[in-house]
Amino acid sequence: MVYTSRISEKVSKKPKFSDRFLAVVKYELLWNIRKKKFLGVLIAAFAFSTLSLLLPVILSHAFGAPFEANPNFVIGRGGISSGFTLFLFALVSVMNSISGEFESGTIIPLVTKPVSRSIIFFGKVFASLLTISAAYSLLYAYMAIGGTVIYGPQNNLHLMPLCILGDLLSTFVWVSIVLALGSLSKNTILTAISAIIVFLAISISAPIVSVFSEGAWILNYVPGNGASGYVKGANQGMLPGTSVTTGTDSITSNLVRYILSPSEKVTYFKVEVGAGIKELYSEPLSTVLSRSMLVALAYITISTFTAWYAFKNAQVLE
Amino acid sequence: MDLAIETTDLIKRYGSIVAVNHLNLKVESNTIHGFLGPNGAGKTTTIKILVGLLKPDGGRVTVLGEEVQGDNPDVRLKIGYMPELPRFPKHLKGYELLDIYGKMYGISTQERKIRIQRVLEIVGLKGRERDFIGEYSKGMQQRLGIAQALLSEPELIILDEPSLGLDPAGMVEVRGVIKEIAKEGVTVFLSSHLLYEVEQVCSHVSIIHRGACLASGRLEEIIAKISGPVMLEVELAEESEDVFEVLKNLPFISKIQRENKTLIIKLETTDDVRPQISQAITKAGGIIVYMNMKRRGLEEAFMRLIMKS
Ligand SMILES: Nc1ncnc2c1ncn2[C@@H]1O[C@H](COP(=O)(O)OP(=O)(O)O)[C@@H](O)[C@H]1O
Ligand SMILES: [Mg+2]
Repeated sequence: MVYTSRISEKVSKKPKFSDRFLAVVKYELLWNIRKKKFLGVLIAAFAFSTLSLLLPVILSHAFGAPFEANPNFVIGRGGISSGFTLFLFALVSVMNSISGEFESGTIIPLVTKPVSRSIIFFGKVFASLLTISAAYSLLYAYMAIGGTVIYGPQNNLHLMPLCILGDLLSTFVWVSIVLALGSLSKNTILTAISAIIVFLAISISAPIVSVFSEGAWILNYVPGNGASGYVKGANQGMLPGTSVTTGTDSITSNLVRYILSPSEKVTYFKVEVGAGIKELYSEPLSTVLSRSMLVALAYITISTFTAWYAFKNAQVLE
Repeated sequence: MDLAIETTDLIKRYGSIVAVNHLNLKVESNTIHGFLGPNGAGKTTTIKILVGLLKPDGGRVTVLGEEVQGDNPDVRLKIGYMPELPRFPKHLKGYELLDIYGKMYGISTQERKIRIQRVLEIVGLKGRERDFIGEYSKGMQQRLGIAQALLSEPELIILDEPSLGLDPAGMVEVRGVIKEIAKEGVTVFLSSHLLYEVEQVCSHVSIIHRGACLASGRLEEIIAKISGPVMLEVELAEESEDVFEVLKNLPFISKIQRENKTLIIKLETTDDVRPQISQAITKAGGIIVYMNMKRRGLEEAFMRLIMKS
């Protein structure tokens, strides 16, 4: 039994930064793609996409209406489209990235390797970025192919990479919040529950605040769908235009809208019982879009910093 | 004297519990140093401070000449550490884990292949490296723990209760591994609550109890020190007053008890003085037919040392 190959240089060289970083990324990627919850959400997202591809077809069959080609089917939807989906991807990707390591005790052999905690942390973040990007790319590709097959040639497919970036920006607001919760609590269940509560609280209160009060502007500064408004155009329900939302989850749809018609304005409104819709004020779509992107970046920066700081200074008591 | 590990007045508290209490520890390089103490003595806490998992509340720690302060990956480059009852990610295969850890040490792809095979062979996991760690038994995870500590061929190997969770055959095997690697100029620091384990593998030992060091030094010296007075049983061919008189006057004998032809001699020294005694008896005309040296049981001595403090 020979333990060492001592002939080989005894003075150990410092490993390269890229080696340490990529090792952590691989460690995390192998975990991510084997997470059952993540795979579950991915499958659900595919099922959901299939449904949204087929539903118009089914409906037109059911009502005997003529089925029309729609060249704007894929890009016109504006991204993954549901804030809930973005949130779910974020949640299942990173809810145990940090807390799970503490709970299982696997953090101990990991952080005692010659890799700084900062590299471990950002390696994990980067791995989740890769995983979620891959999932979104697959979903978009699926929608593009399915949409073309069912609704004919599609317009503006070249915007797809931009849509993916927009969706990633929206998702990473949630990713960073979930990471911060996980890093502070070191408890996966607590992380998941508190993240879900935050998401639901915002999602439920936002439309109410937005539609029935004049304080909707505040929603532009919390994560999620943001305030509701409309852009002038064909009437949609009781609105004198097309409804839009302005928050961090709406970055992709507003991005697409802005690229296709840059000069649009978003009008905010309030519903008054008996009096109908009262216009509050308007602002350019470009303002709405850039603000939501800045707000997203601010959340990502602050939450990521919090998560990193807590992780870097955590003692391993487990 | 080159020190691999040194702690000075090390203190660590968990709330009101003082787990490590002004611990002074010196571990010489190129020794197998046992860190012996009962459960709850503060061994794991001390080791966790050495490897940067916990921050001390007081005192200083130096590992391989560098002060342990904050997150210092470059010191860890030279340390192999096996945690107490280590747990590894279930969703990775044994090979994947070792490969990733190896990359963290900056070991080249080519070299990793060779070293992984070698450590797998040493710990007896060969053939199971393509299985998910989730399918490993606790004993196998323990072996993987040793494998990953050896992987980087470190200067210092810290093993926290290496035989915990192993079956008796596994324990013997692991002790063999430890002795083997220490031959190659590596410092091994291993904690244990088992005296006989430390006795079998270590050259040096520090005894810790309630977070403080009770005794530290070469194993034989410590054993001699804690094991207390030694008894010598001598049977003569026939009873002899002369022999009794001569022995009584020897300086290192404190008491002699006579039972016909048998003498029970209580020694004041822990040195081996059998030659001197045998010589004295022969000179006085006695004939020895049987001689047996008895120490107080080490286990018992160890318990007494701990009770005393
Ligand atoms: N995470 C923790 N929280 C509170 N007390 C702890 C913790 N870990 C250890 N202790 C206490 O610190 C003391 C030393 O424990 P430990 O270092 O694990 O001892 P050993 O490894 O020698 O068995 C014990 O009294 C133990 O109960
Ligand atoms: Mg312990």
